[in-house]
Amino acid sequence: MLYYLSLPFLSILLIALQSTVADVLFSGRLVFELSLIVIIYAGFHLDIVRGAILAFVLGFVLDCFGGSVPGLFTFIYVVIFLCSFFISDWLDTEKMYIIAIFSFLCAFLKEIILILFYSLAFKIDLFMSTHFIVFVQALLIGLFAPPFFYLMNRAEVFFYGKKV
Amino acid sequence: MFFLRKYRTIIFIAALLVVALSMIFYNLKYGTDNSFLRKIVLEAVAPVQKVLSYSIAGVKDNWSHYIFLVGTMEENKNLKKEIEDLKADLILYHESYQEAQRLRKLLALSDDYKYHFISARVIGREQAALSRVILINKGSSDGLKTGMPVVAPPGLIGRLVDVSWHVSRVLLFIDENSNIDAIVQRNRTQGIISGAGSSGMIFKYISKTQDVKEGDVIISAGMGGVFPKGMLIGQVTHVDKQDASLFLKINVAPFTDFSKLEEILILSSDETKI
Repeated sequence: MLYYLSLPFLSILLIALQSTVADVLFSGRLVFELSLIVIIYAGFHLDIVRGAILAFVLGFVLDCFGGSVPGLFTFIYVVIFLCSFFISDWLDTEKMYIIAIFSFLCAFLKEIILILFYSLAFKIDLFMSTHFIVFVQALLIGLFAPPFFYLMNRAEVFFYGKKV
Repeated sequence: MFFLRKYRTIIFIAALLVVALSMIFYNLKYGTDNSFLRKIVLEAVAPVQKVLSYSIAGVKDNWSHYIFLVGTMEENKNLKKEIEDLKADLILYHESYQEAQRLRKLLALSDDYKYHFISARVIGREQAALSRVILINKGSSDGLKTGMPVVAPPGLIGRLVDVSWHVSRVLLFIDENSNIDAIVQRNRTQGIISGAGSSGMIFKYISKTQDVKEGDVIISAGMGGVFPKGMLIGQVTHVDKQDASLFLKINVAPFTDFSKLEEILILSSDETKI
């Protein structure tokens, strides 16, 4: 119960933090989507109900904070969580290079869904103007995911004595 | 009942997806959602964002004031010279302004809208790669309404899209969803300024026969009653006569550096159209 109660507050904190970090590091030119790494981590480590609710709440907070179409990030985050959850059965999710490649692909998938949505809903072709940024952002997620997973694993060992 | 119990996880996940999809379709059909829940989240994000922003601003200030002082003396000398030049220009502009005021009175022209300014501080920036939104620390309790124009000297930067009680979201002109009427200051050529994300803005629907050059200043056209006429928007950086198109491809750079916005002004008017 504590998990569900603290989820909205932690989500708000995470979104505010990632927005400030991105602002300081990249002056608003790039996005550092730590929340996406959290969703992938949840897909690998949490059960489906807990993880799906986490993805839903994080996506909703992100939608409220910065999304131009409310519901879009909520949907994408739940889809990415489900992809991570089901794929984790086939992948060796302990290997750092697998985490990096999978996170890169998820970030890429997220941006492609966004571009497709804008193209279908608003007839705006964003691919030509954003393809480089999309690639760099996906790369950033791919690079930061392994250290994040490592730190989270260490934190789990520290708090619970073993990995959850 | 057995069916529900057996497939309850699948039903639950499907329900989450359906809720998310419903939100998308609802917002596409009826415009941006300004629901109570959304306001609550915005209100909750604002203080956290404020604390984080102020802490980082404090560290940045210390860095720039005390540590990063290399070349300040030379810069100071250059700035003093620049101030002298600008003072001379200012006197000239003041004379022209007075003259314009007199002529305006003679012609009995007046603005259609009477605006006053409400200042606000930027407390957060959006995190979505494809939208450009900032969060400010004023809301409906300060008299803000959805649709009000937002200014960061020297020109317009966007409009309010979501107004909560103490926090609001500003859609910047560089957002892909932003479109406003604009004109070229030099020859009054009219078109639409659309956001192009990190590439700035694009001045659309200008036929190839029109005379638009690099360096031309783009100002608001004042149509539709949302933005006042004649406010600076940006400057033409590139004009491309594409062979396959009827129109010119014109890139416009905003006057304001959106990544460095700290304080902004909202043009408040009782007549602001929503």
